Amino acid sequence: MAQRAVWLISHEPGTPLCGTVRFSRRYPTVEKRARVFNGASYVPVPEDGPFLKALLFELRLLDDDKDFVESRDSCSRINKTSIYGLLIGGEELWPVVAFLKNDMIYACVPLVEQTLSPRPPLISVSGVSQGFEFLFGIQDFLYSGQKNDSELNTKLSQLPELLLQACPFGTLLDANLQNSLDNTNFASVTQPQKQPAWKTGMYKGKPQVSISITEKVKSMQYDKQGIADTWQVVGTVTCKCDLEGIMPNVTISLSLPTNGSPLQDILVHPCVTSLDSAILTSSSIDAMDDSAFSGPYKFPFTPPSESFNLCYYTSQVPVPPILGFYQMKEEEVQLRITINLKLHESVKNNFEFCEAHIPFYNRGPITHLEYKTSFGQLEVFREKSLLIWIIGQKFPKSMEISLSGTVTFGAKSHEKQPFDPICTGETAYLKLHFRILDYTLTGCYADQHSVQVFASGKPKISAHRKLISSDYYIWNSKAPAPVTYGSLLL
Amino acid sequence: MGPLSRDAWAQRLGAFRASPSAFMAGPEGEDLGRDLLGDLRSEKLSEQTKVSLLALSMEYPAQMWPDASAAEVAATSLLDTLVLLPPRPSALRRPLLLAATTALAAGGALGPTSGASCRLLPLLLGLAAGSDLGRGFVPASEQRPLQATACECLRELESCKPGLLGGSLGLLRGLLGQEGPVQPLSLLLALALRNTLVLQSRVGAGLGGLLTDKVSPTGGGPWDWTLVEEGDGRLQPQAPSWPAAEEGEGEHSLTAREHSPEEARELRAAVIQLLDTSYLLTPVAQAQLLWLLGWALRGLQGQPPALFKPQLVRLLGTAQLTLLHAVLALKAAFGEALFTAQDEALLLRRLTLAAQHPALPPPTHLFYLHCVLSFPENWPLGPEGEEAAPLLLGPQLCRGLLPSLLHDPMALLARLHLLCLLCAEEEEEEKGQLPSPRHYLEELLAGLRQRAALDGGPRALATLCFQASYLVACCLAGQPTVLTPLIHGLAQLYQARPMLAPHFVDLLDQVDSELREPLKVVLRQVVVSRPGKDEALCWHLQMLAKVADGDAQSATLNFLQAAAAHCTNWDLQQGLLWVCRALLRAGVRGGLVDLLQVLARQLEDPDGRDHARLYYILLAHLAAPKLGVALGPSLAAPALASSLVAENQGFVAALMVQEAPALVRLSMGSHRVKGPLPVLKLQPEALEPIYSLELRFRVEGQLYAPLEAVHVPCLCPGRPARPLLLPLQPRCPAPARLDVHALYTTSTGLTCHAHLPPLFVNFADLFLPFPQPPEGAGLGFFEELWDSCLPEGAESRVWCPLGPQGLEGLVSRHLEPFVVVAQPPTSYCVAIHLPPDSKLLLRLEAALADGVPVALRTDDWAVLPLAGDYLRGLAAAV
Repeated sequence: MAQRAVWLISHEPGTPLCGTVRFSRRYPTVEKRARVFNGASYVPVPEDGPFLKALLFELRLLDDDKDFVESRDSCSRINKTSIYGLLIGGEELWPVVAFLKNDMIYACVPLVEQTLSPRPPLISVSGVSQGFEFLFGIQDFLYSGQKNDSELNTKLSQLPELLLQACPFGTLLDANLQNSLDNTNFASVTQPQKQPAWKTGMYKGKPQVSISITEKVKSMQYDKQGIADTWQVVGTVTCKCDLEGIMPNVTISLSLPTNGSPLQDILVHPCVTSLDSAILTSSSIDAMDDSAFSGPYKFPFTPPSESFNLCYYTSQVPVPPILGFYQMKEEEVQLRITINLKLHESVKNNFEFCEAHIPFYNRGPITHLEYKTSFGQLEVFREKSLLIWIIGQKFPKSMEISLSGTVTFGAKSHEKQPFDPICTGETAYLKLHFRILDYTLTGCYADQHSVQVFASGKPKISAHRKLISSDYYIWNSKAPAPVTYGSLLL
Repeated sequence: MGPLSRDAWAQRLGAFRASPSAFMAGPEGEDLGRDLLGDLRSEKLSEQTKVSLLALSMEYPAQMWPDASAAEVAATSLLDTLVLLPPRPSALRRPLLLAATTALAAGGALGPTSGASCRLLPLLLGLAAGSDLGRGFVPASEQRPLQATACECLRELESCKPGLLGGSLGLLRGLLGQEGPVQPLSLLLALALRNTLVLQSRVGAGLGGLLTDKVSPTGGGPWDWTLVEEGDGRLQPQAPSWPAAEEGEGEHSLTAREHSPEEARELRAAVIQLLDTSYLLTPVAQAQLLWLLGWALRGLQGQPPALFKPQLVRLLGTAQLTLLHAVLALKAAFGEALFTAQDEALLLRRLTLAAQHPALPPPTHLFYLHCVLSFPENWPLGPEGEEAAPLLLGPQLCRGLLPSLLHDPMALLARLHLLCLLCAEEEEEEKGQLPSPRHYLEELLAGLRQRAALDGGPRALATLCFQASYLVACCLAGQPTVLTPLIHGLAQLYQARPMLAPHFVDLLDQVDSELREPLKVVLRQVVVSRPGKDEALCWHLQMLAKVADGDAQSATLNFLQAAAAHCTNWDLQQGLLWVCRALLRAGVRGGLVDLLQVLARQLEDPDGRDHARLYYILLAHLAAPKLGVALGPSLAAPALASSLVAENQGFVAALMVQEAPALVRLSMGSHRVKGPLPVLKLQPEALEPIYSLELRFRVEGQLYAPLEAVHVPCLCPGRPARPLLLPLQPRCPAPARLDVHALYTTSTGLTCHAHLPPLFVNFADLFLPFPQPPEGAGLGFFEELWDSCLPEGAESRVWCPLGPQGLEGLVSRHLEPFVVVAQPPTSYCVAIHLPPDSKLLLRLEAALADGVPVALRTDDWAVLPLAGDYLRGLAAAV
């Protein structure tokens, strides 16, 4: 279970190479083992230049895809995981774990402790999951709190030293690189025994526990016969525990009000020490019934030093917070649109913000607009072919608002309006963006009194909640729209 | 050269990293390793610069110190630098330890005879044990981090030399129980324990007191080179490949030896100790521990897998990739012994859930989906190693894992695969409850085709559509309800966007005939039903070149005729000719002759006209099989050469005679002595079926008249062939060498030319008898000949040695046909006619036990030495 090499490559479309290797690290002792284990099927880790070229080609990130290239476009070259074989100098380097996120490509080559021909199934290669964690760890480190390029560069420059701590020989010791950084800084503190390896330093100060629940609601609304609207809540519970002692024990309980929606698909942080079987088995895969476990959901754990995600959950609330319909019709040279949005009465009518984005893809810039709205204001981004309906902090008393109008477009220019494969013809959507503070759609809350802390001193406990929209789509009901299998289950 | 400045080093390191091979080949390459080691002790460089130098040495030791002796020197130097550090905190101690370990392990210098190894190992073990190494070697503040680093170094050495720490198990266990850092010690102990178990079981030994002894029993220090030797330097996989493990009762199985009850108890205690504190390890380290222990204990008697149970519930709750993966490894290692049917169902549900949980990133989803389809079931049904839906994964469980057009390509293909697996099983499912997966699949494919058909859409969309079609064709071959709409959908896609022709050609190349043949028919119909005048004509021609065959000839030819008028540029003309070529290959003749004649006259481009004429000539002159070969894929041309080059080389291969290795062998049979000329009897033998064989012979030195070629209609290996008779017309009676060439046609229709090994005509092969004299007149006839030789000729006496066969045997074996007078067993007179007109006369008389004196006469001086050699060699000849 080890990595032979790791790379960070920035994707730079439009430049001659389309990318630059920003960081790379090789592990020669692992490479030596690879040579022995792989035997005749051994392919050495290449230098950065050839690797960059082969990886960008394989990931289709080179600018040139005008012509059919068999080694890339052949129908039988099917990749179903983020693990690739790269053709370098006539040999295939496999497995290469790689993914693109925020214009950065993360890649590593896990050691396979056997011959590569025939290829062993990925599931049997222990280094694959380690490789993923390694790359996710680097990604978290680079992008946590990072705001601009110079901060990114600073963090990249810290990587060589951090990997001496977190992965000195290619076997990953801790995916949390921030821990390694803190460890370096805490080096003078003598750590007591039995301190968890995932906890750095020791907190000295006023004890406090902060819990915040963030729910994201996503939805696909069609307003169509035969296709069901779908919506889902995804919750994240984040904790920061500043407590004295080596291993303070904390138990946090999440509760639901009487009419709350049960939490499902609960995934917990590895620091959680035990789980009720009801929590483990409550799943969205099963049909809902009244007997579903509805809490309280207890999570006993020993907190790490930093802020962490205690658990994730999903939930199926009975109604979407905002129900809408969107009708768009092409009338000769213009589009006629009608939008209706209705806030459900059970939802807290106090938004931090609420907007509806109405994009028009594969068309030219907006040249003319006539509209009528019952509420809020409309902003027009002519060049981007986008309307933003700013609804504001509150829906009116009726809880229902509408917008109608006609839009005319100029000629399409390919550079400015990128091609969208989904929204062609009259297929179109509007997307809602909103945020409500101190509120969750499921009703889930962390009762301050139910938080148990086994540590010296009575901690100050603070709890926060918010609801955010995410992928909240309302499709034009007058045209075909992409559906999921779930939408067909009526 | 003095030490380099910080900037100079930064520049040098930058240049090295940009391309290590180029740098090492350059002028500075040779000195890099030496300079680096030297400058580590320079007082002018900051610690930070030195750390970056050490980091480089940890990445590229093989470039700087390419052999074991150089690595040994480097490690020694690094250790010296470490010892010389002043007794105050320094950022160099950790990297120096790491670098020395890397140099030894990567350089192959690690071993009992290496001085650096013998210094490094006690140092590391001392540091790991937290012992006082004296003289303020380790400042107090660094003790803890160095302890952990030393453990990591030891672990790497143990990974590279399994068994090395076999003697330290007791010591490590003791440390873990006391105050040592939990994670590094746990991982080190687990690895050393696993390696020891594997190696001991291989040699049939038990653990003995290894787990309890604090001091090594071998006495040579706590490291165990003997165990390393027993391991034969073989590395130990942390988890042997799963399917291999299923079969492996030999290599990886640990059942070879039972442990004594006491050993088993100690082992169990050690494992429990490791597992109990595993919670204190980082998730990735916990996962390593589980992989190690799981596969170490697999099949070990007295070690119930239930030891792992307390960890499982905790682990199943997380979505940590490494942890769930480790649980799957335990599942694969222990199966039902650790996971009951209910546990298995729960694990599969958690996995299915993780494969779609919105809180996890897409690469994780895809890996979990792979894990679902490769799930190590307690009772697997399908073939090993292929992705398949586990039995417990019903449609209900898959609901959230099905593809939609909104997924990115990789997720879509992965989920599409699952959908196909569901469709394959749909027959048995009861219908009506859920929307039919097959219907959903059809809609999805239609959506993909719609997107691929969009004008101006990126190629990736088209590629995705064809990948999906290919996947469906592979998984659901034999399901006409799926394939029929797929074929028609693809035909419509072609109609909508002919520029996708290369994708269609690729798809036709990849899929089985079950989809290929009907798809070809439909696509051909689509193309030929179009008017020849079309913007997309070049794509139609490309398509038609792939799908045109002997069927629907008239429609195809009509299309081509109509198209010919619009083929105004070179590209289109080549496309058109390419279709003609495909038709020629398919054996179409009738209407094609007319078309080619028209093209040979009408095409604007002279190259096009030439080609058309060439095809016409080929069509008119070659039989169908030969034509097929001539136009078939070129054997000679590399795949990347232009089509024209390929085509020309194809013709060259097919229509010209090719030099080839000999597929036929010739051997000499006994020669025939009747008739006026000597005749060689040759036995041909073929290695492959060959036809129209022509053998040509050339006599070196023009000793004989030119030889006629010999013809054989057909030769097959294993089928006996009639011997070939080759009459010789000597111009002088001398042995000769014949060069042999073979010309033949292979079963693929190629005409080949091969050089065969030469044949040697011996002196005796030229012997002919004189006409037999009347009964009783033999002696007189012989004497007459004898006398006629002199005075122009020559006379000699030769001693002919006799073998065990005696004179009688020798004569009957070699000279029988030429004997004129015989008085067996002591006296023979032999008369040999040597064409063209020489004679050789022998008198063999008064034989002794070991030889016979031979008097010989000939009318040709030149024959004398040959005859002498011949006679002297007779006894040896068998």
